[in-house]
Amino acid sequence: MTNSSQRYEKIEFLGEGQFATVYKAKDKENDNIVAVKKIKAGSKIEAQDGINRTALREIKILQELNHKNCLVLLDVFSQGSMSNVSLVFDFMDTDLEVIIKDNTIILTTPNIKTYMIQTLQGLEYLHLNWILHRDLKPNNLLVNASGILKIADFGLAKLFGSPNRLNTHQVVTRWYRSPELLFGAKQYGICVDMWAVGCILAELLLRVPFLPGESDLDQLTKIFQVFGNPTEQNWPGVKSLSDFVEFKPYPPVPLKNIFIAAGDDLLDVVDALLVLNPLKRKNCSETLQMPFFSNKPAPSINAKLPLPQNIKKKDLEKPSLKRKLLNSAEGGTLSKRLFF
Amino acid sequence: MAGNFWQSSHHQQWLLDKQDLTRERQYDLSIFTEDEYQKIFIFFASVIQTLGEQLKLRQQVIATATVYFKRFYARNSLKCIDPLLLAPTCIFLASKVEEFGVISNTRLISTYQSVIKNKFSYAYTQEFPYRTNHILECEFYLLENLDCCLIVYQPYRPLLQLVHDLGNEDQLFTLAWRIVNDSLRTDVCLLYPPYQIAIGCIQFACVILQKDHKVWFAELNVDIEKIQEICRYIINLYELWKQYDEKKEIQSLLAKMPKPKPAPQR
Repeated sequence: MTNSSQRYEKIEFLGEGQFATVYKAKDKENDNIVAVKKIKAGSKIEAQDGINRTALREIKILQELNHKNCLVLLDVFSQGSMSNVSLVFDFMDTDLEVIIKDNTIILTTPNIKTYMIQTLQGLEYLHLNWILHRDLKPNNLLVNASGILKIADFGLAKLFGSPNRLNTHQVVTRWYRSPELLFGAKQYGICVDMWAVGCILAELLLRVPFLPGESDLDQLTKIFQVFGNPTEQNWPGVKSLSDFVEFKPYPPVPLKNIFIAAGDDLLDVVDALLVLNPLKRKNCSETLQMPFFSNKPAPSINAKLPLPQNIKKKDLEKPSLKRKLLNSAEGGTLSKRLFF
Repeated sequence: MAGNFWQSSHHQQWLLDKQDLTRERQYDLSIFTEDEYQKIFIFFASVIQTLGEQLKLRQQVIATATVYFKRFYARNSLKCIDPLLLAPTCIFLASKVEEFGVISNTRLISTYQSVIKNKFSYAYTQEFPYRTNHILECEFYLLENLDCCLIVYQPYRPLLQLVHDLGNEDQLFTLAWRIVNDSLRTDVCLLYPPYQIAIGCIQFACVILQKDHKVWFAELNVDIEKIQEICRYIINLYELWKQYDEKKEIQSLLAKMPKPKPAPQR
């Protein structure tokens, strides 16, 4: 591991998160393009704790995973001081947040189906392996040039299933945080991830974050303004959660008024995921069984998913044989321009 | 810990062959006899166990630390890293992996120092020579040599399920649990999947308690040959333990141990 710091040649800076900086790099051994995630050393006090816990969590969980919709860990190495760890992943061209924000891209129902199926299948695999992701958001759903979506960033992921074990509720980026977490629940399950998936689906439709709360209380207000207030009838036990507060009553808004362009079968999916009562939310397997995913139109083929233009451009500059074949099979990228 | 054992790194990468172990240990076994080599590992398993108990860790964490320790030396000679340093490092890493709160490095070292001084003074007379930075550096080598495989499946959960299936006999459970703990002093955790170890320990406990569960064993869909092998390891352990006085012998064994090169100054 110590030698492999020379194995990867940095190409460019990709981004920075709370715990890590990500670079694009070339693996000199096989010329593959990879992403190197350098975990921040943190303060001096944290450095005393040795290998960063976030990095350890990712290493430990990624090492056990093998699914086409989960990002695979290729290597781990250190540079200089021992508590400074870098993780090496497959390079992914973009992420769902970029795609959603790119208003030159039109996301059709078949596109949304394909993104959702990939997300749900990856997450189903995690849940079947007793792993909670706890930080699902468009930014953590990476997409490569072939349209494969992979769930990434397991820095908050945790094994669940110990019945008496308490977890922190300070997880999940606020906009995707479920009401039970906002009310301070310390025992929770896959339902926190399902709520986040619901928010992501809503965001794919609206093209802006669905519930962009500015504080935890504002987040709850935004949720209740859509779904109405929780009561002991629709969510038994809600009032005993540690941070429960009574809100000014809001009437629920029919989803049809918010997602005007969406079909009924799609609204059923939103409706099944964004349920206030965590126990009433559908899990991944149940959601995948819903009519929306088998109804017409069929989901798009991965390679046909629309991607930001700069990715296509890069491919045009040095097109791989595979890409060329795909493009000619699709009649080039021109057909997509017809949309505008 | 849950998840799918059959697809885990434990099952796919870390169930070793007896032959592999013998080959990897060739160098160390040119210095020690098999028995002496095992005595060293019995000693350090006790060190890890005592340190873990002193830090009030759960048995799961202690067991994982011990398996890390064994896995490291399954691939490396004792001369690569002083086991006296690797032992607390395993505890340090395991406590983070099992998410039972970080032990502060200062607390780890001071507790370890007092454990060595108070409980193992018959083995080590000199002052404990390592500091925080040694543990931090060692942690990295450990992670590397584990191939970043951190999740270890332990026999405790299958043991609980199997004993439940047998009708929840407290006495049997307690004894089998203790035998599982003792089994960490043998190579079984490197060679057999945890459910087989659990069954082996139950069988052993049944024999000691003179319980007849022949029918239950007969119905198990398990390779009985393997269970017998596990039991043989445990019998050998107890025989070795009985006929040897650690307090008298360990110091000369440790003195014989090949020493690592002095660490480079950083």
